Amino acid sequence: MNGYPVVKGAAYTLAATPSMVIYNGTTQTTERVVNPSSEYLVELPKHLRSYEDVISYIPNQVYIGNAHYDDLANTEFPYYDKKWEGAKEDGKFGCIMPEDEFYGVMHICDVFELVMLENSFAEQVKEKLAKREMFTEEQLESILKNNADQAELERLVNEEHSEGLYIDQTHLVGVVKRAHDVDVNLSAHVMLENLVSKASNVISLIELKKKNNFDPASVEYVIDCCEEACGDMNQRGGGNFAKAAAEIAGYPNATGSDVRGFCAGPAHAMLHAAALVKAGTFKNVVVTAGGCTAKLGMNGKDHVKKGLPILEDCIAGFSVLVSADDGVHPQIRTDIVGRHTISTGSAPQKVIGSLVGDPLKAAGLKITEIDKYAPELQNPDITKPAGAGDVPEANYKMIAALAVMNKDLDRSEIANFVKKHGMTGWAPTQGHIPSGVPYLGPLMDDCMSGKVHKAMIIGKGSLFLGRMTNLFDGVSFVVQANDGTVGGKSAAKKEVKVCKTANYYGTKIAFASEGSEHGQDNIDLAVELAAKKGIEAIVSEGETAHKEMEAALNDGTAQAAVTMHYPFPIGVSTVGKVITPARGKAMYIANTTGTSDTDRVSALVKNAIAGIIAAKADGVEHPTVGIANIDGARACEKALKKLKENGFDITFAESARADGGVEMRGNDLLLGTADVMVMDSLTGNLMMKMFSSYTTGGQYEAMGYGYGPGIGEGYDKLIMIVSRASGAPVIAGAMEYAANLVANDWKKIADETYAAAHAAGLDDILKASAPAKAAEAEAEEEDVPMPAKEVVTAAIPGIEVMDIDNAVKALWKAGIYAEGGMGCTGPIVQISEANKDKAVEILTKAGFIG
Amino acid sequence: MDLENQKRVLNISEEFGAENVVVLLGAAEAEAAGLAAETVTNGDPTWAGPLAGVQLGLTVYHICEDEIKSEVDAGVYDEQVGMMEMVMDVPAIHEEMENIRSQYCKYL
Amino acid sequence: MAILNGKHVIIIGDRDGVPGPAIEECAKTAGAEIAYSSTECFV
Repeated sequence: MNGYPVVKGAAYTLAATPSMVIYNGTTQTTERVVNPSSEYLVELPKHLRSYEDVISYIPNQVYIGNAHYDDLANTEFPYYDKKWEGAKEDGKFGCIMPEDEFYGVMHICDVFELVMLENSFAEQVKEKLAKREMFTEEQLESILKNNADQAELERLVNEEHSEGLYIDQTHLVGVVKRAHDVDVNLSAHVMLENLVSKASNVISLIELKKKNNFDPASVEYVIDCCEEACGDMNQRGGGNFAKAAAEIAGYPNATGSDVRGFCAGPAHAMLHAAALVKAGTFKNVVVTAGGCTAKLGMNGKDHVKKGLPILEDCIAGFSVLVSADDGVHPQIRTDIVGRHTISTGSAPQKVIGSLVGDPLKAAGLKITEIDKYAPELQNPDITKPAGAGDVPEANYKMIAALAVMNKDLDRSEIANFVKKHGMTGWAPTQGHIPSGVPYLGPLMDDCMSGKVHKAMIIGKGSLFLGRMTNLFDGVSFVVQANDGTVGGKSAAKKEVKVCKTANYYGTKIAFASEGSEHGQDNIDLAVELAAKKGIEAIVSEGETAHKEMEAALNDGTAQAAVTMHYPFPIGVSTVGKVITPARGKAMYIANTTGTSDTDRVSALVKNAIAGIIAAKADGVEHPTVGIANIDGARACEKALKKLKENGFDITFAESARADGGVEMRGNDLLLGTADVMVMDSLTGNLMMKMFSSYTTGGQYEAMGYGYGPGIGEGYDKLIMIVSRASGAPVIAGAMEYAANLVANDWKKIADETYAAAHAAGLDDILKASAPAKAAEAEAEEEDVPMPAKEVVTAAIPGIEVMDIDNAVKALWKAGIYAEGGMGCTGPIVQISEANKDKAVEILTKAGFIG
Repeated sequence: MDLENQKRVLNISEEFGAENVVVLLGAAEAEAAGLAAETVTNGDPTWAGPLAGVQLGLTVYHICEDEIKSEVDAGVYDEQVGMMEMVMDVPAIHEEMENIRSQYCKYL
Repeated sequence: MAILNGKHVIIIGDRDGVPGPAIEECAKTAGAEIAYSSTECFV
């Protein structure tokens, strides 16, 4: 039940938008206001890259998954003058799209007739986008609507405050109109920013579907974590980018919301998603964000001054699918989370301590135990020439310094640590985009290939830029490789191939796995062991485990069930099967749980009959019967011999001790002298545990076939009991035992055996062995009519097993319908929920319970 | 340097007198530190902000320079800056700062 | 003569270097008057 949510898919996309650098990047728009004739603005266009150069740029190829981050680390710095050989527009994680097509996507994303394209341009773009197989025919058709000719576009820019959309730097091919004449939040500037964010978000969400194997209809929630805000003047940040983008991208069953945290937004959003999945609120949550126009060419002045191309010329997007544990994909450790708190302060060591040192320490992990750290992964090719240094490298040095302070690392190892636990940044400086999350895609490969066992994602945010606080911010979390067993709820759903050549092929057994003391891996192993024998276990867990198990039995999906506890009615009791140590011989212990009769001797006799049924149905043709030398053994022997005399087929075992006899001593138990060893079920239960776990020291039941099937007259369900301490071999053994009983038509054998026993005078023999009890029972039956039957779901424990019938009758007398039964800790009286309080009162008054 | 920051630098210098003002920087790299230092002494080299062409000649240091470190409580310094000092190239920053100060500072 | 004592200090911190508030804490111990403190962000 402790399955951590998994990172099931990731997509990363870029739209090369060189013209938007000029018209929409804030460094440039600010410059045009304060210094319109500046040399920078004159020089800038010469530094814009071609689409081909954007594609072959190595960090971009790493971002979309065609190159590995190690490839970048192995490239000599700087990167802008190198090309990735065989660079492609389409990558493992996503794609790169040129400016003109991106405008087409903006048009598709616009549902308010704000985006207008030049008529012929719109037609070209539609054709190009159609080839990508990303959008529906209807969406592609929508590009052709609401367009204009060149003159109208120019008029809209010059007279109507529209923002222009350009290609080749100066060629006007479209506009984004304002959505309101007065409201600044709906101005053309804001609408363009928001539509760009939405469009780049949509591209990523579509690539997520295309590049990962999942049903988009299964996504229940989408969280957007970009840095924009949408809303009108009455709710400036009302939202909801998430739902707006998911609508266009085709996630029909999702709702969603926006999470904001500056550059740390994606890391926060991942925590939200992981928590929603871990809590079981949703099974599939997508964290997603588009990019921002404002940051295009943000460090352009430095790049131009140094003769570099403008490297901040792409709108980025990313999407990550977080799902319930599947036993395969890397898991988000929702319990190893770092957070920069209000009182943490801004000192770098405090910041890194709160995000890295504290959470790892709390989890008992050393800093060196995290194989890879993913802090903000800004591309140093962009930041270094701008004087901001190599941001990821600075973070790695700080983490290494912290490790030295914690004595996890020797000072001389710092450089090595940075190399081994770090990565060269490849993310575009689109604010929130580098927030550790670009590593989630490569991390899936690293975890699944065994290269990385644990990684840490670290997001940091400059809250002070909002002028609301001077605080800094950040959150972090650990992602670990999924070993398929780490308490994963759905790890049991791991694909297990049933062996088709095994004897039991085709047998299906419902397995309520709830409650094992040995964890999920024990359950998984049991399922695997059974599969090797050809048995398919249908595992159900959680609160509904028993309901699902019973449903599978009732509708015939499964022929038998295995469970760790079950309230059998009085009259039904289980026959266990163990391996005896002396000769490795199988022996049936009759019985091990449940109560076949409230009278001790009657119970022993009925146990013997149940034992014979179980042994016969398990393939022992003429099972020998011995009676453990316990209280009531002689009376039981007398009764069984009488049955035999009357024609009931029973073969008695002979004790291996010199004096022989049907009564079996401890020695006979170890020798397995009898095939069926008769005893009361409390003793039988002790024996089961001894025989199953004596080789392991007691905690782990490693041997045998478990506590066996519940057998009683007329009982027609095959339910096998194992214990919470049963190990995988015992659980698998129980399934094998069940498969044998199914194969040999246990029900028919049971019916025939009971019929034969009755024909041999069982009822009279039992009456004679327990006359007083029988008389009493008859009297009770005459006196007390049974109230109308109702569904009994409440249970009252604590009643002596001998008193169960009388307790039931006492309740009947009071008009309360009740049934006796065996709970997992002893006998119970079952009543309806409504009658529980009253029943407790009556039973307390009558002295049945204390 | 951010335009708002340039405006504040200008206003504060006018209010208290440039000789009474000291600028402390926290830039990660020598180059960025040098640019900021130049801005508050010789004026905005990018000619974008309010300090373009304004030669305030303010006294300017990086927090990691020994001149400043020696005046700060050692415990506080260690707690607030210690780790970053390990990460940054302090000699390079100091050299760059010295270079700017020797050229443009008026109140040393 | 002390550089910071009694002076009006303007702090221009760096998000990925030493942030403004961290420099403030230091400057206060040297007897400086904090006139203005901010943190720049290049990413």
